[in-house]
Amino acid sequence: MSSAELIPSDVRARLKKLRLRARHGAGGDGLGQHASRSRGAGLEFVQYRAYEPGDEPRRIDWKLFARSDRYFVRESERDSPLTLWIVIDASASMAQCDAARPAWSKLDAAKAIAACAIELALRQGDRFGLITLAAGGPALIAADAGARHRDRCLLELERIACAGEWPAEPALRPLWERVLPSSLVLVLSDFFDDASAELALRFAAARREVLTVQMLSAEERDFPFTGGHRFLDVENGQERRVEAAAVRSNFLERFVVARKNLARRFAAGGIRHAEYFLDTAPDLPLQNFFGIVSERVRA
Amino acid sequence: MSFALLAPIGLTALAALALPLLIHLVRRIELRTTVFAALRWISERIRPRRRLRFERPWLLLLRLALLALLALLLARPVIDEPTVAKPAWVLVAPGTDLGAARAAVSITGAEWRWLAPGFPAIETPAPSGALPIASLLREIDGDLPRDAQLAVVVPEQVAGLDGERPRLSRAIEWHVVPGRMSAAPALPERETVEWSVRYAPSAESRVAYLRAAIAALNARGMGHYKLDAQRDNVPLAATVRELVWLGSAPSQAVTAWIEAGGTALVDSAPVDTTLVDTRPRAPGAPIWRDADGNVLAGVQALGHGRLVTLAAALSPDSFPRVLDADFPQHLLELLQGSPAAPALASADALRPSTTPSGTEHSARLASTKPLDPWLALLIAVLILVERIVATRSPERR
Repeated sequence: MSSAELIPSDVRARLKKLRLRARHGAGGDGLGQHASRSRGAGLEFVQYRAYEPGDEPRRIDWKLFARSDRYFVRESERDSPLTLWIVIDASASMAQCDAARPAWSKLDAAKAIAACAIELALRQGDRFGLITLAAGGPALIAADAGARHRDRCLLELERIACAGEWPAEPALRPLWERVLPSSLVLVLSDFFDDASAELALRFAAARREVLTVQMLSAEERDFPFTGGHRFLDVENGQERRVEAAAVRSNFLERFVVARKNLARRFAAGGIRHAEYFLDTAPDLPLQNFFGIVSERVRA
Repeated sequence: MSFALLAPIGLTALAALALPLLIHLVRRIELRTTVFAALRWISERIRPRRRLRFERPWLLLLRLALLALLALLLARPVIDEPTVAKPAWVLVAPGTDLGAARAAVSITGAEWRWLAPGFPAIETPAPSGALPIASLLREIDGDLPRDAQLAVVVPEQVAGLDGERPRLSRAIEWHVVPGRMSAAPALPERETVEWSVRYAPSAESRVAYLRAAIAALNARGMGHYKLDAQRDNVPLAATVRELVWLGSAPSQAVTAWIEAGGTALVDSAPVDTTLVDTRPRAPGAPIWRDADGNVLAGVQALGHGRLVTLAAALSPDSFPRVLDADFPQHLLELLQGSPAAPALASADALRPSTTPSGTEHSARLASTKPLDPWLALLIAVLILVERIVATRSPERR
């Protein structure tokens, strides 16, 4: 299993322009490419601060002392590595796919996005981990860096299959021990289950930087059905028998409202949110989060 | 040129048209199942409608046409051929004076034929012998096209009839000219009827009952009958036409005489010992039954003649009906049989009646051309096209 099967070549080419970037400074130790919240000795100057007892004498700026006859401590930003956690919703509803492209389910798209994110993290030397949420509770690959860890994650991605519903809250508790504050959490789900949105919001509230991608099929966006239809929800076995053309406008209206509400909730919780449609390229959400366009908007 | 159906009831097969309609309709009602997780935003109020919409209308039309043609084939369509030649026929019965016939018929350009089997041309010698005139008339009536004119020239006396006025599908010209047809010679009426009786020595006593019957018939004035009773070894006279044979099975000579055209009454039926039912029985078709339905006498055809067999010996102890008052009358019927139908009639009385509906069918057959082969060809082509259309990839949705 190689990442070549998960990432199409054109998508891989476009990934070169992207950089994983956290909005807040990353914590943790070690040298990395990300701005750190911890200040101290380093390359990039930040500020002078008055000496306080306890500061290391070697951090006093002696040239400034000579000019001003006061002790100042020179502070610089410490670069630190980032930890990326990829959370994949593998509940049964993620097996949905478009009639136009039956081999490309939401889960497949989520795998492709995850593989792209892993490639980005690997290139920058960041740590990354993988969390799969399915009926049996979370399956977890601890965060680490390096090419071998990338391969391990890709193997795990390959293994994932859709089953069951979103796990109950107690089963999710181990995640809090693993996903440390200040890490970047990329949640790939359809967010039809409110528990999934709840989890993302709680992560964000607990100082994890959360990115959410809502996986949607083109059929959900366009509702191209006509004639009598029996719509089936594989997760809870519900079904609706309706005249498709007649319910179309009503469905689209309500569904757009639901998506807007979700985006508003996430924005209120400080979550960067994107929608992904099955008929678009899998790097689009990442372009949205980390691309030049978003950089310019933020500038 | 017109179109007609010989078996319009075949059109009831058109009811089968409902089949493809149903097939194309039922498929439409089926719901397509889609896995769709965003279910909760679909409003449930609008149920799927059962619309009268047909899937693949062209295929449906093709199938309907196919079935309609099959039904039409069952109805046996025919098309009337335009009749070009022989619009008029003149048939001349043999025995008619040809000159008188030509003077009587005024149709010009008509086809002149003899009214005889095969309808030979008038130039050939006149056919002779007994001719089934009534049957020939019906035949030509059926064979000719419906609009053809038909004239028949007959002599004043017509033979070859079958007991009924001919009934034809068209009005024909019926010309009667002087002349007379040769018919089978009628038997001369007899002043005195003489019955021969031949008896075995053991059966001499039974002759008395025959004498009594004869006497009764003569007394009632139903004719003049005589009895010529002899022993069974006395040969028959040449003029004898009725014979009563008592006491034994008929000899070879008597059998030969019957086959030549005589009528014999035999009283002792040969007893078939193999039968379990030993009741007296008479062989042949029953012609005389008693009140209980038992057969008292049967008749068999033997050559040209008739052999009447009584169920038992002609004596009161074995055949009690001998003593009944109506025995002489029955005896007369047994020996003389029923009178023959007249075979000779006056031509004026024989003018055929016209019954258009009854014989129309056969007349049509002759003048029309069936469409079946062309229809079958068309159906075969349609089946081919239907298969091609049906097996083509359904559609590009």
